[in-house]
Amino acid sequence: MKIKDGFILREVAGSFIVVAVGEAVKEFNGIVNLNETGAVLWKTLEKGATKEQLVKALLAEYDVDEETARKDIDAFINKLQEAKLVR
Amino acid sequence: MPRYKIADVVFDAELMYGYTAKLCEKYLYSGSDKPEFTAVMTQKDIDAEKMQEGAEKFPDYYLESLALFRKLCDYTLSFKQGIIFHSSAVAVDGKAYLFTAPSGTGKSTHARLWREMLGDRAVMINDDKPIIRWVDGDFYVYGTPWNGKHRLDTNTRAKIAAICELRRGTTNRIYKISPQEMLMVVMNQTIRPTEADKVDNLIFILDKLLTAVPLYRLECDISEEAAKTSYAEMVENADK
Repeated sequence: MKIKDGFILREVAGSFIVVAVGEAVKEFNGIVNLNETGAVLWKTLEKGATKEQLVKALLAEYDVDEETARKDIDAFINKLQEAKLVR
Repeated sequence: MPRYKIADVVFDAELMYGYTAKLCEKYLYSGSDKPEFTAVMTQKDIDAEKMQEGAEKFPDYYLESLALFRKLCDYTLSFKQGIIFHSSAVAVDGKAYLFTAPSGTGKSTHARLWREMLGDRAVMINDDKPIIRWVDGDFYVYGTPWNGKHRLDTNTRAKIAAICELRRGTTNRIYKISPQEMLMVVMNQTIRPTEADKVDNLIFILDKLLTAVPLYRLECDISEEAAKTSYAEMVENADK
């Protein structure tokens, strides 16, 4: 799984947001608000990652048990797929 | 070719329609500063405006004025640390208060209530599309000719004292909100560029703006009471 081209993550005034740039604006003109966990997952997915790699990334950054991490990741991936931000 | 100074940017404009010239009349410039760019308006610019949502019904002369505004905003965002912020900006004793909300919420009305309450102490900087610039570490709001349906603007600038998001409510109450909360509001009330470097310019300015300026949300009806509520908190209690 990988974030589609043309979507950028930025931190502004303490929030993480994702916006489209260039051609991608035609498909997606909104703003996605991410929390800190979301931002970590996003950054991992920018390079392309499997679900197992996402779990590993989250466990490395946060003091969270694996079950919770997997649940969070599933919810996050669902959100990205709904918004068609990943391929 | 007319020369204008808007938001402290001097530029020349080659216009197709008298409407735009008339609109910008108050901002004609005859000083010695050199123009920073020339805006050459063409049918292509007007056609590009027509692609915007809801714009196909507007006449070409009006769309030309919007296209000129877009060019100016693009320039200020790229080179002047400036952004457009859809809001009603009123200065009181020289300090500016910005009311923002989606069209139809009542920001112009609220600004009018302030003027009625404060008389000569209140000056309308701009009732619709002012430009905000970060200059020497401070944020200023500038009047522009794109001044909304009541045609209210002043060719001046004022330091920004506070920004307030307006929401319709049944009672009047005002409270501070976080930069995170205001960010989504502002992102929807500015022109979002599509080029990555300009997006970064926008984010750079917003990051500074939202951490430097007090931010409020006012839930209000349309009454004198609403204006008293916002004035008391944003002006009278500002330093407490």
